[in-house]
Amino acid sequence: MISGETALKRAAPFLACLGLLALWQVASLVLKNDSFPTALEALRAIPSILGDKEALINFAASLRRMATGFGLAVVVSIPLGLMMGRSRLVASFFNPLLMVIYPVPKAALMPIIMLWLGVGDIAKTLVIFLGVSLPVIYHSFQGAKAVEEKMLWSGAAMGLLAPQRLIRIVFPAALPEILTGCRTGLVLALITMITSEMIARQSGAGNILFNALDMGQYDTVFAMIIIVGAMGIGFDAVFERIRARLVRWSEPQFDIPLSFS
Amino acid sequence: MNVMPSRSDLQAQASPKPAAAMIEIDHVSQVFQTSSGQDHLALSDISLSIEDGAFVSILGPSGCGKSTLLYIVGGFVQPTRGSARMKGKAIAGPGPDRGPVFQEFALFPWKSVLGNVMYGPRQQGVKHSEAEAQSRALIEMVGLKGFEDFYPKELSGGMKQRVALARTLAYHPEVLLMDEPFGALDAHTRTRLQNDLLSIWERDRKTVLFVTHSVEEAVFLSDRVVMMSRSPGRIRQIIDIDLPRPRRRTELLLDPRYQKCVVDIERMFDDGGEAGLRS
Repeated sequence: MISGETALKRAAPFLACLGLLALWQVASLVLKNDSFPTALEALRAIPSILGDKEALINFAASLRRMATGFGLAVVVSIPLGLMMGRSRLVASFFNPLLMVIYPVPKAALMPIIMLWLGVGDIAKTLVIFLGVSLPVIYHSFQGAKAVEEKMLWSGAAMGLLAPQRLIRIVFPAALPEILTGCRTGLVLALITMITSEMIARQSGAGNILFNALDMGQYDTVFAMIIIVGAMGIGFDAVFERIRARLVRWSEPQFDIPLSFS
Repeated sequence: MNVMPSRSDLQAQASPKPAAAMIEIDHVSQVFQTSSGQDHLALSDISLSIEDGAFVSILGPSGCGKSTLLYIVGGFVQPTRGSARMKGKAIAGPGPDRGPVFQEFALFPWKSVLGNVMYGPRQQGVKHSEAEAQSRALIEMVGLKGFEDFYPKELSGGMKQRVALARTLAYHPEVLLMDEPFGALDAHTRTRLQNDLLSIWERDRKTVLFVTHSVEEAVFLSDRVVMMSRSPGRIRQIIDIDLPRPRRRTELLLDPRYQKCVVDIERMFDDGGEAGLRS
């Protein structure tokens, strides 16, 4: 049986979305600006975008680059971050580099990267890769640093050598923190994906969005914003489910110790 | 590491040791760098021999380096001077012949109780089914039957320490290195675990090196108590505890010999001007 309160709790996100759309609708009707279509007009434009074969090819290209950039970044960043967390030498080498790269908006590197690698897949994937890498490295680094030394000693006493300890103790122990970084990275992947396509227009979801803007198809622009936003929410929700499953052992709902000595 | 093997080797030969020494600590000193960059002498010229099957406690106030001494035997810390040997072989690093149990439990939180206990045997190459059967038996022995599939996070401190003990016993170390294992537990839980440890130990009599700052705990459990003093950590005195085994807590508390042991040791610390053991 669902009580009134839990039903309300579940409906809350949808109510919030509906509220936002209603506000949008009213604001648009009041302002009567050509470049600000109503929420209904934007929503009505969505099916035609999703039904268009050309648009779907663009989306597929975007998602492929996003998946490649994200995947490569995770594969490279986790081991690097873990090694930085466990070795002062590795950390002192990479930390200054990361400190320099960290505050630079990755999209700002796009012109240079385009100059070197062209406007194709490689340049865009590289920007996504850079965007995702930093949070994943940072959180892997923090996670590895926080691993209790006695846990590693326990492993060493069982006969695990240093590389085995990194893979079989540091990695799982740091996993909750690593996945927090991956979650941030996933959203950043989506953002850098769109911005890279905005700068190097050739294909992709960002390309559709900015082409529509150039042509004054404002309902398409806003429809694309809704679609990209929905993609972000969808990816995040799926990732959160996977994350919660993987680190069930560290979740706070288990934090009720039994009263038995 | 300024190990000086020549000197300690000479010393070892000069003093005849009992044949069945499991662990020998030879003129070990440990110097730490403080955060202000100064040298701090944590252990000063410690020599100690522990025979096979003995339950030896290292007793001292906090900051006397007693845990450091245990870590040196474990191979987790390299001594600045001197050396430690196990069965005549120099200790160069950690190994499954010496099993640590830490105050912080140090369980693997992503593994269930069973997974934690099986970890050592699996690492040693024991077959899965065999490791599982042994581990289940050990979990039952430490009184946690029915909790095999629980995660450490779901357990109380006392239960966690039981798992940690089972996990260490599972890979059959010859020496147990216990670093204030019951220090983080409440008094009631602590007593129960002391009793259970003693009854487990009395079955197979592994060599135990047990670090504590509780006089009662040291006397209750040990064959010998090594009293240490602080700054720098030195051995003050080694006291044999000639109380009969198997020991029962309720009987022992009424035994005048036990009471005298406890009072004598406490007096010795007081006379030494130590600011109390429980500081």
